[in-house]
Amino acid sequence: MRQLIDNDYLTMLSRLLVGGMYIVASVYKIIEPASFAKSIWQYHLVPGSLINLMALILPWLELLIGLAIIIGIAYRGSIWWANLLLIVFIAALASTIVRGLDIECGCFKAGQSATEPAWQSLVFDVAAMLFALQLWFSRSKKWMLRRA
Amino acid sequence: MALKQPLILLVLATVISLAVNVVSPNSIPLVGKYRSLSSGNGPIIPPTAEKGDPPFIDVNQAQVEHEIGSAQFVDAREPEEFMCGTIPGSINIPFEHMPEGDLGRYLDSALAGVPRDRALVTFCSGEECDLSLHLGRNLYTYGYTNVLIFFGGSREWEKFGFEIERRAECGS
Repeated sequence: MRQLIDNDYLTMLSRLLVGGMYIVASVYKIIEPASFAKSIWQYHLVPGSLINLMALILPWLELLIGLAIIIGIAYRGSIWWANLLLIVFIAALASTIVRGLDIECGCFKAGQSATEPAWQSLVFDVAAMLFALQLWFSRSKKWMLRRA
Repeated sequence: MALKQPLILLVLATVISLAVNVVSPNSIPLVGKYRSLSSGNGPIIPPTAEKGDPPFIDVNQAQVEHEIGSAQFVDAREPEEFMCGTIPGSINIPFEHMPEGDLGRYLDSALAGVPRDRALVTFCSGEECDLSLHLGRNLYTYGYTNVLIFFGGSREWEKFGFEIERRAECGS
């Protein structure tokens, strides 16, 4: 098991998947912060005064950690964020299912009505979490710009 | 590493995002005006609503759509009522005055260039009028895919203390 987790190729694959996911997810949010703010509002989890700040900062954080994970710079800190954010996303999505809210995920695109049920996004995030956790535990240091 | 790297990343993301927001054409205020949800009781749905109607939204969502500015508000009442007081930024498509015949072309010209997938929020005075419902249905039928009906209307909007745009002096 240890060998598998530390495998250089598996680690690189996870870096590309998790990093790529964060980069792709950040793009629409950076371009359309207002739409993303609305998505956050729909979850009814964040205080109103913080919604816009979150809508501005979170996408850039996603872009930075996505790039950092793939390039291999500020690596541990980026993996830390990648896992923490996924936990938050999973909890938020699960809460919409529990509360019976029928809302758009706001994960990758905006401005569309709820076409994808929350459980689908939830399954996606749980799958992504597996790769992010592998990165957390992997000791592979190959193909990194800075081995920190 | 402890928390140093995560903190640096957060600070970096904050600085970049705030700087970009200053120059971006899509910038948003740092603190938005979102109301707490305690006062709303969900959307008002008229008894005449049918399956397949566009979605109904409550005053909270109407306010957010308005605040964000991504939706076009459409007042379905008579022009006189529209002039007396409406939700700011609305356009008036009086449902009672809609022509017979090619409604699609009429709606297109009334909405002059509004993309068909843009959110349209239809409303009238409130619960006693169903012009917003009928206009919403027609817009939807004629290809506007993102119609929302704010059935609480201008009265609920005003009741919750939101701004009303008055173009003419009218007796109350």
